[in-house]
Amino acid sequence: MIYRKQGIGMSGKNKKRPIHLDLLHIRLPVGGVVSILHRVTGVALVLALPAAIFLLRQSLLSPEGYGRVSAWLRSLPMHIMLFLLILAFTHHFFAGIRHLLLDLDIGISRDGSRRGAWLVLAAVALLMVTSLFLLW
Amino acid sequence: MVTLRHGGSAHRGLGEWLVQRASALYLAGFSLWLALRMGRGWPADFTAWKSWLGGGGVRLAFGMFFLSVALHAWVGMRSVFLDYVKPMWLRLVLQMMTAAGLLVLLLWAAEILLIEARP
Repeated sequence: MIYRKQGIGMSGKNKKRPIHLDLLHIRLPVGGVVSILHRVTGVALVLALPAAIFLLRQSLLSPEGYGRVSAWLRSLPMHIMLFLLILAFTHHFFAGIRHLLLDLDIGISRDGSRRGAWLVLAAVALLMVTSLFLLW
Repeated sequence: MVTLRHGGSAHRGLGEWLVQRASALYLAGFSLWLALRMGRGWPADFTAWKSWLGGGGVRLAFGMFFLSVALHAWVGMRSVFLDYVKPMWLRLVLQMMTAAGLLVLLLWAAEILLIEARP
């Protein structure tokens, strides 16, 4: 993030601007929504990491372990967890690619970044519908 | 034009920025590869699963994946803490717990890839 010193000062007509931002009162632009979801999904994916490594280990230990893991993954609660994880991953993936493109100044304009954010949400929705069909 | 200051904490931020991007690129490529592999049909049983994961290239790819995840998670979690956790002591505690946790997970994954996944 780049701050310009002149922009932050308390000079001129902008004295009444809010000093803190009340998250319950401001309506975040779509780029902001995609961005905060990128963080939320990132934290969720990190929290899922121990379980994923545990399952990987179990699945490699013995045929019985492998059977247990596939039985777990086939149960309904795990299906729901799996669906949420795929949702988190898909969002993190596409929003991350958007961030990488923004680094390259692609889609950096106000309209361009809004279009990009909507595109991310559309891609996530599309892939989630597909994965719903594949999972069930 | 943005001019970069050299040395000190500014330099460190640039390094973390690069690590985040480089690991992101690997993770994206790895995920696409895994998704394509899944699309061609997942190894059907224990034997097929084990022989697939036992391959040197696959284990290397997974090892790089876990390393990238650990680095990527570290930079990401750190920026979350920096933005939302204001008391310095709590921030340091969370950062240390994250670093220790990620290190343990990385060693655990390395053990699995080197021992359990060995053909």
